[in-house]
Amino acid sequence: MGPGALLSLEPPPLPSSAHLVIHVVALILYVGAFLFWLRFLLSGARGDGPRLASWLAGIGVVAHGAALSHYVLVYGELPLVGLGPALSSLSFSLGIGLVATVLVVREAARVGIVVIPLMVGLEAVALGMGVVPAPMALDFQGAWFALHVTLAFVGFQGLALAFAAGLLFLAQFHEIKAKRLGSLFRFLPPLPVLDRVGRVGLWVGFGALTLALSLGWAWTVRYRGSFQWTDPKIVWSVVSWLVFVYALWARRGSGGAYKGALAVVTGFGVVVVSFLVVRFTAMGTGLFL
Amino acid sequence: MALAVLGVSHHTAPVDVRERFHFGPHEVHEALRRLRVEAGAREVVLLSTCNRTEIYLFPVEKPEELAGIQGHLLEKAGLTLQDGEPYIYQLHGEGVVRHLFQVTSGLDSLVMGEAEIQGQVREAYLAAGEVPVEPALAGTVLHRLFQSALAAGGQVRAETQVGEGSASVASVAVELARKIFGRLKGRRVLILGAGTTAELTVEALGREGVRGVVVANRTRDRAEALAARLGGTAAEFEELASLLPSIDIVVASTAAPHPVLTQAMVDEALGKGGSSPLLIVDIALPRDVEASVGDDSRVFLYNVDDLRKIVDSHVARRRTALPQAQRIIQEHARQFRDWYATLEVVPVIRSLRARGEALRQEETEWLSRRLAHLPEEDRARVEEFSRRLMNKLLHDPTVRLRQGVAEGGGPELVRAVRFLFGLEDGGEEDAATQGHGDMGVPGESEKYLEDGEPDTHSLDETHSLERG
Repeated sequence: MGPGALLSLEPPPLPSSAHLVIHVVALILYVGAFLFWLRFLLSGARGDGPRLASWLAGIGVVAHGAALSHYVLVYGELPLVGLGPALSSLSFSLGIGLVATVLVVREAARVGIVVIPLMVGLEAVALGMGVVPAPMALDFQGAWFALHVTLAFVGFQGLALAFAAGLLFLAQFHEIKAKRLGSLFRFLPPLPVLDRVGRVGLWVGFGALTLALSLGWAWTVRYRGSFQWTDPKIVWSVVSWLVFVYALWARRGSGGAYKGALAVVTGFGVVVVSFLVVRFTAMGTGLFL
Repeated sequence: MALAVLGVSHHTAPVDVRERFHFGPHEVHEALRRLRVEAGAREVVLLSTCNRTEIYLFPVEKPEELAGIQGHLLEKAGLTLQDGEPYIYQLHGEGVVRHLFQVTSGLDSLVMGEAEIQGQVREAYLAAGEVPVEPALAGTVLHRLFQSALAAGGQVRAETQVGEGSASVASVAVELARKIFGRLKGRRVLILGAGTTAELTVEALGREGVRGVVVANRTRDRAEALAARLGGTAAEFEELASLLPSIDIVVASTAAPHPVLTQAMVDEALGKGGSSPLLIVDIALPRDVEASVGDDSRVFLYNVDDLRKIVDSHVARRRTALPQAQRIIQEHARQFRDWYATLEVVPVIRSLRARGEALRQEETEWLSRRLAHLPEEDRARVEEFSRRLMNKLLHDPTVRLRQGVAEGGGPELVRAVRFLFGLEDGGEEDAATQGHGDMGVPGESEKYLEDGEPDTHSLDETHSLERG
């Protein structure tokens, strides 16, 4: 996510049990929200599952925000450095994106059935690894770094929302094409709603990631004087950016909604797989997402 | 004294007869007013939809009272007693409750589970409340009956699959269009041919906000006639290619022996029409649209077999939910019956409390005369004490009396309370409810009461009983 730097030799502070408890509460609320969505889907899209699921997810996001705020108070830094804090912040960012989506387009709340498991996964891994600061690179500080990482999170938040909307779009499209007007058809929102969420997610994500990468590039050139194009995290960042470009390009022209959905779903897969490859083969410092 | 309903429905009368009995929205208030003023109905609600016209009444003392109401119905239909009576059915007592609950839940509808009836029942109930007469037409009993019916209908829809999935070609088309286009407001629809199903489909789409109807037919005259009815414009088949790019939904139902809409025409239209998808509902036999048209990812093509399969599967699923729906209705009917039973204790409780209050006042006055030296504040405390004591003494008997009556011990309990507390007979008001915990059946009309398990055909059975 950022340029490499010298590491502090000070050991990280011990984790505070209070913010971990709030993290667990948030995780439980997310799991509960997902289970309500699942129950709603399996029961033939009947009952007041969506309302309960949305409320649980919303309360979970508030709890998650409280846990991260507590982290800032305890450790005196933003939860951006170290895999645990960064994944938890990314999960929170997805939650914020989901809540914003629901508030703007109520019908789009059902993308929660895809977004919430992503949030659960990220938060569970974060808790498993420990939401504690990593030994911090000394120049991984200051406003530029916070802005760079926050913008990158918004970028991936947009991509994840577009992926969720794209996945549901493809499912709904195939239900209608296959002439199956069953419970999945009833559960899924109309195609234009999903298309709109996907389009907005892509544009917001693309804008944010472009700014994040530009900021990282400018800082590196300014303070390091050179730019390592072969650095795995830079390769991954550029791959992610190209995925956005591809997905936006695919949306152009006739039948663009379907092609765009297909592109964003495959693109999201590419981003995740390339991250895992980079993470488990090249890096391992704990600083890189 | 009893609940009663009198009416015609799709079970008993063909559409041309039902039309004659139908009350339009502007006629309902006047009809209700006349039923009160001229026929003497105390509580009355008039439900009139395209599939039924029913008059719900309370109380009905004798079967002859219904003759006057029936006279109003026949007058409205312009039929003689001999011609109209075979179409009219009557239900009494608990049969009315079960029937209304089934109607409101959509179990008695022509298309089982249809949702519109719930709103129509609510409107009928509200209309009765809007007529400016005293006492209100939707009085204590009908108010409770309709509230219970709406609750039962709501629960049936929420908890069962009775209303799930579209059960007609028109509603499937609307459901599809909603999922494909989101909001339908402003969408344009093209009708090929002038069939009834196509017309119904377009009417259903029109209710969702679809505008810009274009009717294309082999003969211009028929196209213009249908377009005039639907508020659209007419066109000829030769204009199809130029019309298609601006169209979102096509409903095809011509009698043409070969496809009217070809792959080439659709390809060309989609090329010009931007990225908007195209929904084609082809209900013609033989088909009006080439099957290969549906291969395009921008086209959603449904033919008559696809639609029939969907409708059949939805109807089958609705039927599987019937037992669950009936259980809900039975439970609501039981609750209504319990409430109805408690009505008979209201006059007794009122008498009991009046008796207690009279005794309390008598005794506090007696005491006040002897404690005249007490300050005003202390006398107020004595008054308060006596009131609290009376309320506490009467609380348990009141609660247990209601409970006992709800559990079926009505007349005996009421008699016992009257005897023990020396209460006078409740007179006319008491008689209005006493002894009718089963909602009563007037005179000799027990033959109308349904004793079996309620089902969707109960009305037919009742009607045949009546005619038999």
